Amino acid sequence: MKSTLYFIIPLLIVSFLFADKKRDMMLPDLTIKLINGKKTRLSTLLEDGPILVEFWATWCAPCKKEMIFLEEYHKKYSDRGFRVLAISTDSPKSMSKIKSYIRAKKHTFLVGLDPNQEVAKKMNAMVMPTVLLVDKDRKVSWFHQGFVPGDEKEIEAQIIKLLDANNQMDSN
Amino acid sequence: MKRLILSFVAICSISAQISFTGNTETRIGESSSGFYYNETLINTNLQYSAFTNWIQLEYSDPPELGRSINGVRKFRLEYDNGPIQLKLGDLYEIWGRGLVLNSVDDQAIDRDSGIRGITLMYNSDLFSTQFIAGKADISQSTINALGFNNRKHNYHTSHNLYGLNIEKLFGDHNIGFSFLQGLEKHPINTFPSDTIDIKNQLHSLNYGYMSSLFDFYVEYIMSRSYEFEEDTWNSHTTGKGLYGNLNLYFNLFSINLEYINYRYAALDPISRFNIVDYYGFSQPYQNPPVAVYIHENVLMNRISHQTDFNNEVGYKAELMGSFSDNIEFLSIFSQSNRTHSWVMDENFMWIKDKKLSSLPNYNPAAMPFKDFYSELTFRSFNNNLFIKLGYADTKDIVDLLQNTVTDTSQSLTYSLASAKTIPLNFSYSFNNGWSIESKIELQWLKKGYWWYEEKNNEIIADSLMSIFLDDDGKRLEQEKNSFISLTVSKSPKWSFTLTSDQTSVKESFLENKSIINPLEKFLGIDQERNWVNIEFVYHLTSSMRFSLMYGSLKGGLLCTNGVCRIIEPFDDGFKISLSTVF
Repeated sequence: MKSTLYFIIPLLIVSFLFADKKRDMMLPDLTIKLINGKKTRLSTLLEDGPILVEFWATWCAPCKKEMIFLEEYHKKYSDRGFRVLAISTDSPKSMSKIKSYIRAKKHTFLVGLDPNQEVAKKMNAMVMPTVLLVDKDRKVSWFHQGFVPGDEKEIEAQIIKLLDANNQMDSN
Repeated sequence: MKRLILSFVAICSISAQISFTGNTETRIGESSSGFYYNETLINTNLQYSAFTNWIQLEYSDPPELGRSINGVRKFRLEYDNGPIQLKLGDLYEIWGRGLVLNSVDDQAIDRDSGIRGITLMYNSDLFSTQFIAGKADISQSTINALGFNNRKHNYHTSHNLYGLNIEKLFGDHNIGFSFLQGLEKHPINTFPSDTIDIKNQLHSLNYGYMSSLFDFYVEYIMSRSYEFEEDTWNSHTTGKGLYGNLNLYFNLFSINLEYINYRYAALDPISRFNIVDYYGFSQPYQNPPVAVYIHENVLMNRISHQTDFNNEVGYKAELMGSFSDNIEFLSIFSQSNRTHSWVMDENFMWIKDKKLSSLPNYNPAAMPFKDFYSELTFRSFNNNLFIKLGYADTKDIVDLLQNTVTDTSQSLTYSLASAKTIPLNFSYSFNNGWSIESKIELQWLKKGYWWYEEKNNEIIADSLMSIFLDDDGKRLEQEKNSFISLTVSKSPKWSFTLTSDQTSVKESFLENKSIINPLEKFLGIDQERNWVNIEFVYHLTSSMRFSLMYGSLKGGLLCTNGVCRIIEPFDDGFKISLSTVF
């Protein structure tokens, strides 16, 4: 017990100190399977501009609430190269209805499949929903876990912040 | 193997070209009844060129479920270079829809069917193939082995596996083939303890078609098992399974249909979940789809159907769409049963009665299950107001206790769980970041033993003997359950939730009295069967989340994807969790 605590307490302190340094978090060039059966690379998805990655599942109520707003932002900022990629972590037991759910809700953003949560683990998405804003260099500019009503405003503010920063870099 | 991986980490760590990310999750809980857990999981992801490495460390003393681990729990090294991918370590792979292979690590019910080994994949746009070889050490809980315990699994099997999966795309068509062989060391109930050697072979074929109007998928699996006796592999059992899925897309709605037909073994009602004495049938690394809807609400999940993966026929139909931009609907009907009805012979031994059709029906002697759920969702004020109202009606024949039939009589007894549930969700988000949210679930639950007696074409009995008793010991027809949670939150920093979980009567099989916590006393709720808790969640930073819960939680059945486990109640205690991403 004591030895466990000796390990855990410093770990938590280090985690706390470094937790907000996630702006340096660089994602590997992951292969992502899309809902249309095709596979793509994260770097390919980022060619046009930054993306927002959301991890969700058909049985996750807050995820589905969040997706309503993500659809709105996907449309609103698409002319600035921004896109939303919603990666479903549904296992084979519920994955058959992912496409029918997306079609019924008329969502137009990109949908990925991650049934064994391999991509989620590599992006450190431990809870659902988890949202990551990824810039063109595969760096995570913002990370958020969970969703409560009102979070959508913070999500939009972070999208605008990233797009503005990108514009500034492009003009320089 | 571990040394190799750790050496790789050390070498990479001294290089400046690596990318390193990770997360930690610490959970500590202690209740007045002595339930205690303390666990920390640390995941690290390391990338160097085409190599990635995942290590999961666990420090638990003890964990909430399962056995204590102090050190490396999982590790994997991956090489990904264009179409070639190589993985070494703990593998969690899914082939097709999981009829052959779906290895999972579900910590909510402590189910881990991962394979420690190697896999080589080749993926191009039109063709993919995967070879896998390794060992799966799988732990399960069963009352048929010694040392049954709600918190720790008591039965362990090891499987040496190798297999191949091939998939080929032809335009919108996809064809796949899988083969997997497992050599199992199967412990049996003998003294001194012993194991028998079983060889399980699984072959499957699948076909899929995708279009803008509809999608179709079908997978057929054949299984064969052999037992090693007298220096030779003797054929033991054969089985088969079928899964089908059809999605139809219309302008305003879509339909999702799923069908399962698993016939690995027809075991009698007493033996069907006995994984110790009956072997060579469905394998714990398969995890195929089930004909059960995964409900979002708490009370419905508590009476979820436990799928018999050896023997189940069922379907699930789901209709979802929208009446307008603000009003959406969802309707689901699912039904399943066993492939045969069962009767008792003159010695009160179970025998198969008749083979039922390939479509589900509601014959009580085939232990059927059916579930209807419908919901309406309403959104308004720029999606700030959200209301969801649902209705669920579930009936599950959990067990068959007696079914004796003669030319002139029938005596049938079975245990039944049926419930009608109304969930209501409401949330409103103010423009300044504040929001309120409430979840109310009401349930009318019937549980007990149904007795049907017929003699000379005259029905003598056809009624339910409820297991619910009032305080005077008088039988009550049903139990009323309610689950209410109220949340106030200030985005994006914190949220505060009060949850009350109540039942109207004692369940007669529960002996332990729950402890009334000060919170329940403060709120004036002094019934014997209620669980109240408060939870505070605070985002210290955008990647660091802290939660503190105080109070009591009702335990009971927790089902995930047709696999169920009893979770012990948590009385009058604290739960703390901290998750960080770095």
